Amino acid sequence: MSRHRVKAVAYDEDDFDDGYDSPDPEEQEFLEQCTAEVLSQLLAGSPSVTATRDEVQEALWHYYNDVEKSVNYLRNKKAKETKKKESAPAPAAKAKVPAYPLPPDLVLQEPPHFSAADFFRDSPWLNVPAHRKADILIEPLYPRLGLLGGAPESGGKVSKLAALAAARKKKEGDKASTAAPAQNAEVNKTPVPSTEQKGASLSLRERLAGNGKILKPEGAQSPRPLGKLSHPGSHSPQKKPSPELVKQNGASQVNSANVQQELTAEPLVKKEEKEQPTVNIRASPSTFASTIVGDVTRPKLTEPSPLFSTSLDLMEIYGQNLTEPFDFTGPSPDDVVLNAQSSAKGFKSKQPASKPAGDKKNQTDLAGGMNNLSVAEKVTVKSKNLDVLSEYQKSKRKNAMNFAVIGHVDAGKSTLMGRLLADLKAIDQRTLDKYRREAEKIGKGSFALAWVLDQGSEERARGVTIDIATNKFETEKTVFTIVDAPGHRDFVPNMIAGASQADFAVLVIDSGTGNFESGLKGQTKEHALLVRSMGVQRIIVAVNKMDSVQWNKDRYDEIEQQVSAFLTTAGFQAKNIAFVPCSGISGDNVTKRSEDPNVSWYTGRTLIEELEATEPYSHALDKPLRMTIGDVFRGSVQNPLSISGRLDAGSLQVGDQILTMPSGETALVRSLEVDSEPSDWAVAGQNVVLNLANIDPIHLRSGDVICRASAPIANITSFTAKVLAFEHLMPSMVDVHRGRLHVPGRISRLVATLDKGSGASIKKKPKIVAPGSVARIVVEMDHAVPLEAPTRVVLRAGGDTVAAGLLE
Amino acid sequence: MTDRRRINGPPSGTRPAVFASSLNSASDIATGRPQRQRQPNELRKIFLKTGLIPSASGSAYLEYEPSASLAAARSSPKSLIPPSSALKLACTVHGPKPLPRSATFSPNLVLTTHIKYAPFAARKRKGHIRDASERDLGVHLETALRGVIVAERWPKSGLDITITILEAEDDRWWGDAPDSHDAPWGMMNVLAGCITAASAAISDARIDCLDLIAGGVAAIVADESEDGEAKPKLMLDTDPAEHKAILSACVVAYMPSRDEITEIWLKGDSSKALLGPDDKRSGHEALLDGAVDAARGAHSVLAEAVRESAERFAGLAPGGGATQ
Repeated sequence: MSRHRVKAVAYDEDDFDDGYDSPDPEEQEFLEQCTAEVLSQLLAGSPSVTATRDEVQEALWHYYNDVEKSVNYLRNKKAKETKKKESAPAPAAKAKVPAYPLPPDLVLQEPPHFSAADFFRDSPWLNVPAHRKADILIEPLYPRLGLLGGAPESGGKVSKLAALAAARKKKEGDKASTAAPAQNAEVNKTPVPSTEQKGASLSLRERLAGNGKILKPEGAQSPRPLGKLSHPGSHSPQKKPSPELVKQNGASQVNSANVQQELTAEPLVKKEEKEQPTVNIRASPSTFASTIVGDVTRPKLTEPSPLFSTSLDLMEIYGQNLTEPFDFTGPSPDDVVLNAQSSAKGFKSKQPASKPAGDKKNQTDLAGGMNNLSVAEKVTVKSKNLDVLSEYQKSKRKNAMNFAVIGHVDAGKSTLMGRLLADLKAIDQRTLDKYRREAEKIGKGSFALAWVLDQGSEERARGVTIDIATNKFETEKTVFTIVDAPGHRDFVPNMIAGASQADFAVLVIDSGTGNFESGLKGQTKEHALLVRSMGVQRIIVAVNKMDSVQWNKDRYDEIEQQVSAFLTTAGFQAKNIAFVPCSGISGDNVTKRSEDPNVSWYTGRTLIEELEATEPYSHALDKPLRMTIGDVFRGSVQNPLSISGRLDAGSLQVGDQILTMPSGETALVRSLEVDSEPSDWAVAGQNVVLNLANIDPIHLRSGDVICRASAPIANITSFTAKVLAFEHLMPSMVDVHRGRLHVPGRISRLVATLDKGSGASIKKKPKIVAPGSVARIVVEMDHAVPLEAPTRVVLRAGGDTVAAGLLE
Repeated sequence: MTDRRRINGPPSGTRPAVFASSLNSASDIATGRPQRQRQPNELRKIFLKTGLIPSASGSAYLEYEPSASLAAARSSPKSLIPPSSALKLACTVHGPKPLPRSATFSPNLVLTTHIKYAPFAARKRKGHIRDASERDLGVHLETALRGVIVAERWPKSGLDITITILEAEDDRWWGDAPDSHDAPWGMMNVLAGCITAASAAISDARIDCLDLIAGGVAAIVADESEDGEAKPKLMLDTDPAEHKAILSACVVAYMPSRDEITEIWLKGDSSKALLGPDDKRSGHEALLDGAVDAARGAHSVLAEAVRESAERFAGLAPGGGATQ
């Protein structure tokens, strides 16, 4: 149906209603007479012609009621019409604009193809025949029949009115289907000759379809050749019903006024049209396409894929399965060989040549193993996972104490300690005799005892202690470790290192005439200040060489008075200061009371008793591990790398992983010795030797700090410290000493001077800090060093100690 | 400076030359020439599948079933001359995606179409850079698709449509020497396939369209009939290799449900069409009608492929698919 496009519109009667339509009864009667006459003449003529009354009346109107002219005109017209009907199609497809608002065809989903060729068939460009010119009437938009907003038919509930409408429609459909066969017969009878005659109005498709296939009724539908595809909801290409064909077949034979009839006929025709060559042109994928879409088209692999069935399986063909399919996720055989070769290059001497390519698994393992290989063998020491603190509490160890022996040079520190060791049988008599012989050989017999501690040849030759020496001895209650510090002013850094390991100090004073005074000006004073600033609380003053002054009590009292006054100002409490007159060379009042009657005035404790009277010092066992390396040395063949030092805090056991700072390297504790005896663990306060593994010696220097990777000590380049000034402090270059560690740095800022007692700030930003006052300063260092807050540091400049204090 | 790092193929044809002497007689040519075994209005079968390229937002693969003559020639070759080829192409749609920063503001979707022959796709080897004919095809495709995409829906966006032609239609039978009638007839089939595949790929990318758009080809061919005289006849979906002389051809991009044409490409002389005693249509009208009919045929396949795409989408994303 071409109701949507009005192609040719016949003139309606209304269009000619141009005002002449006057209902004059006289004229009407005359017209009736003339009409009857014309009709009778037309029928009577040789070719009898029938004409409708309207035609006749129209002709009469044109010819002013001239009967003869009208008859001629009508005769010619009818002759022409019949001729035209034979040769040519009807001139114009009359698109009827229905007078009654028709329901729009709901069945029609796609408009039929409008062929421009059909429409402008007999209209040359820019020269349209006059009879084709027409007013284009656009069909007004009539409201849809049915209820507005009513439920669709397919929907669940249908309103009453819609149901009524549907029922009426169905009734009409039934009526039409009874009428259809008759009409259908007409259509089938006429089509071939008539469409041949009127073929111009047919599109190509109809013609092609008409050639081979006669339109079949719906019931005779043959199964489709390629029935695989059934499209339930798809738009099958709706082959266009030529609208004119329908119209003319219907309109010429059926009464054109019967619009209803035509409407019902139309879907029928459309069904027939659908029947024509809708061969399914959907193809199955080609072999090539199935390689692409094979898996997609067959999501389930239940049915065998044609791809696999057609592809060749060489394994099956040759019937032998000698090879495995290669797994492409791993490295290719070439890669495996190349990797193995490249990694084997450096270790040819150690590793056998890589195995021939064959067993792939071994090769990948080999390649992986080669990558991990390094020259140094990794040592793994199994940790016993001891609970060190509980072990420590269980063990009935003697108290261990370190004391530093300090004093002016040649005060007899080493000799006194040698005497102590000799008397306590810490060294055997043979060794002592040997030292004595050797000392006498070089003319220094009095130094024999000192050689117990001064092991170095230079120390022995010069007769001075250069580096700290440690030795230990036991009493019934306590294990003492002597840290013999050098007294010479050139070796104060070493003395600081020694003092930092000490729990308390033994200040040795030469009581000889003049020597005490020089000592007090010299290192006696400096050492005392240093050990105090290193945190040493208790100090035992051994007034040595009393035999040289014949145990003069006055001399002793004088020394005691001066020294105690000085030590009190240095910050020692009076109860923590003890004085013992003794003689190292003779051994009086060292371990045993002097037999000398001159000493009878002294009733106090001997040196060893004084040592034993010292309260044991408590250590921070549960803090994170900290240990300053005192020395790095090669212990033995089994232990190529050992470090010694004292555990400042925390605990340690064999197998522990440790971190050295500032290098940041890890090492493994292969074994350890506590006080020269093998042990499985060590706690703070003990002097240990750690035999390390898995670290290069270049990462270890004396002064480095050992800690755990879980709680590392930070490397810092600047710190704030509260210091006691020994000299005038100004922003200047200083050496920062902390135990063994000493690095260059500078005082960058003087923050404030502080009150000694309360610690309150007295003056902010002083330009200079006077000696003896406490100040807060900021020190910057060139290199990052491991330091943390409660650490005592000593600042020295130009060979003198300028300040000492506590890191904040 | 030539590219020495690659082993490039020869710049032009790679198949063996066919010498006149190998065609002994006219009968050889007659037997060797593929003959159309379809009805004039019968279309070749089309395989169309969407969603093959997962990285693209939409993709389609289209191929024509090889002509019966091709299948026969392949199974029992009578001469060295290769039989006709069948169209195979893959279409990817990337987008809608934001335009690059450098691009100027566009209130509409910026459509870009690229059609590229694979180097091995056609008889004459194609280079790596698009030549004039490929760019021409791209413009045709863009025209066809511009009418179907609702461009206002996607401001500031770009849509890239890339078509790779894996196997192109021949312009003529390989046994034929190039003559004056020679024209790139195969391009018309390629364009029709491109339009159909692009429509499927756009639908697969869930981009709003007015309608599915299908391409169709019709041609007026002057094949010699039994009585020896050439009668120009209208044929649908011509394989150029099966016809000795194609007088004119037409490709349309057609929206069936709107009955609209967005692209017409008509080539050749259609005045000689002998449509039949009763057909008063002019040659080009007949061509247009034929092409539209061919497009309707392709539309049936297209609709089915798009339905499959939608089902797959709904299956992948239940709930999300229902709102589309």
